[in-house]
Amino acid sequence: MAKNLTAILKGRGTLNTVLDIKNLSIEVNTKKSKYNVVEGVNLSIGKKMKYGIVGESGSGKSLTSLAIMNLLPDVLKVSKGSITLNTEKSKELTKLSKREMQKIRGNEISMIFQEPMTALDPLYTIEHQLLEVLKFHTNYSKKEMRELGLDMLNKVGISRGKEIFKSYPHQLSGGMRQRVIIAMALICQPKLLIADEPTTALDVTIQAQILDLMNDLSETHDTSILMITHDLGVILETCERVAVLYAGQVMEETTVEQLFTNPSHPYTQGLLKSIRSLGDHKNTLYSIPGNVPTPAQYENMGCRFSSRCPHAMEICKSKEPSMYTVEKDHTSKCWLHEEEGVAYG
Amino acid sequence: MYAYILRRLLMLIPVLFGVSVVIFFTLRIIPGDVAATILGTDATPEALAQLRKDFGLDLPIYEQYLQWMGGVMTGDFGESMRTGKEILPDISSRFAITFELTMLSAFISWIIAIPLGIIAGIKRNSKTDFGVRVVSLLGVSIPNFALATVLILVLALFFSYSPPVGYVGFFEDPITNLQILFLPALVLGTSMAGAVTRMTRSSILEILRLDFIRTIRAKGAKERVVIFQHALRNAMIPILTIIGMQIGVLLGGTVIIEQIFSLPGLGQLVLTGINQRDFTVVQGSVLFIAFVFVMINLIVDILYSYLDPRITYK
Repeated sequence: MAKNLTAILKGRGTLNTVLDIKNLSIEVNTKKSKYNVVEGVNLSIGKKMKYGIVGESGSGKSLTSLAIMNLLPDVLKVSKGSITLNTEKSKELTKLSKREMQKIRGNEISMIFQEPMTALDPLYTIEHQLLEVLKFHTNYSKKEMRELGLDMLNKVGISRGKEIFKSYPHQLSGGMRQRVIIAMALICQPKLLIADEPTTALDVTIQAQILDLMNDLSETHDTSILMITHDLGVILETCERVAVLYAGQVMEETTVEQLFTNPSHPYTQGLLKSIRSLGDHKNTLYSIPGNVPTPAQYENMGCRFSSRCPHAMEICKSKEPSMYTVEKDHTSKCWLHEEEGVAYG
Repeated sequence: MYAYILRRLLMLIPVLFGVSVVIFFTLRIIPGDVAATILGTDATPEALAQLRKDFGLDLPIYEQYLQWMGGVMTGDFGESMRTGKEILPDISSRFAITFELTMLSAFISWIIAIPLGIIAGIKRNSKTDFGVRVVSLLGVSIPNFALATVLILVLALFFSYSPPVGYVGFFEDPITNLQILFLPALVLGTSMAGAVTRMTRSSILEILRLDFIRTIRAKGAKERVVIFQHALRNAMIPILTIIGMQIGVLLGGTVIIEQIFSLPGLGQLVLTGINQRDFTVVQGSVLFIAFVFVMINLIVDILYSYLDPRITYK
């Protein structure tokens, strides 16, 4: 594992960021209710960096990614904060018009979704759906598009490109479809690729292939990756930095190495404890007791993890902690860091 | 595909056989016959018996059926018991009128319904959506004859307009022909539009919720491309189904509308046939309508496979 970690850390170290999220809040706004589902999220994704967001379902990780794409469902909207994309010039994504955002999607930022089985239009050929992206964003001729498309399919490991071009989605396997989707996402050479659980719906044997493929392609294309997952294993395998999201807030943010070797937040510690490793012969898996609070309960609950935290103190239930720097490149949102000499783990 | 079409055509045989049996025996169950309607109530029993014999109505029923079927098999639908004229040319000339009326109505209904349904689906729960839903519900619920009567009255009273009287074929005088057919087509079209609008709206709504629409947006598609190229095409299958059913029904003749606008269509032929107990006319027309209905269904099924590559027929 240590070897893997050092290999991962090599790629890190540029200060230039491609995406900056500052104090982002996402609000549910219906006639009946109004509350934040994501609150105060800060993220900075460096150029060529592979950044991970890990969290349970309902933690707001997917919503954060949809907010970047400006594809939030109608009842949700960004209520506070900024999302800045730094390509040739800096653009504040939350303030762009529909048209301007359409030019960015698929071109400067691409997204891969969880479910490859339903992510493609069943009525159009792969050729149409792949080249469509080029049609939206470039002025290539039909022939050039075809060549680029076949080349891209080749890069994602599909050698029978001409045959696949003529196929419809239902004729392809899940792994094949996810490869096509990756090809679609990368064909315009975006600066940032958001991958929302890209391997969750795939067979285990295909999962590793797809992750490797994304890694390789992002390196050759200088694309940063924002990996959204509930699986710490995926984070370890692909990312350099990671943010742990819980109940709509970032609980801990650091490098992958520090997260695994020195987790500071009790929630992260719980997550790591609940992974079973080889040679672990205990019969039961560790699980964090209690349930994730619902967004309606967020207000006035102090620290959102307090109800499930083994270290919870009086103050945790009444007052929300701020983000503490626990070491270089490592922040954690927990009252424990306020006092010195607390033993972790 | 061709094998499939051939199989579907073979299925016509049992369908038409069933229809022929039902219509043949139903007509003979209802009281009264053509002899009585021709000769009137004062006719002597001898005269009635003679006339029945002339029409072959004195034979055992199964023999009558076999005789009729034998003719139909060889393309001879027989002669009208009232006029003595051959039936088939009459059916086909009247069907031409009904066909034109149906296509015109369908066309009117699409140009109203599909845009409205799309708008309502995109702007769900807005005032526009609400308005469209109310109007389409009205379209479905107002009976044709009421709408037709109101339309004729309003046009006559306030605009002093009345459509040309008497029927003129399209190839004789297209403009007069369209003037004659426009009002009935408008009435039929608006009532069809109600159902099509509702189906388009719900179908579009359902498709817009699917994952692949999000993917297309994430690719940077303009809303126009999302709606027309992807959402609408996916929404077309249920819309096509309902359109096919409507056309099938209309091609069977629209008795009331044809009466109101005095169009010599298929519906009118069947209605007078029933009233006069003109058995051969009714039997021939019904068999023809059943045939058309099956064909429309076949065409719709073939269109499905063009719309959706997942549907294949073997």
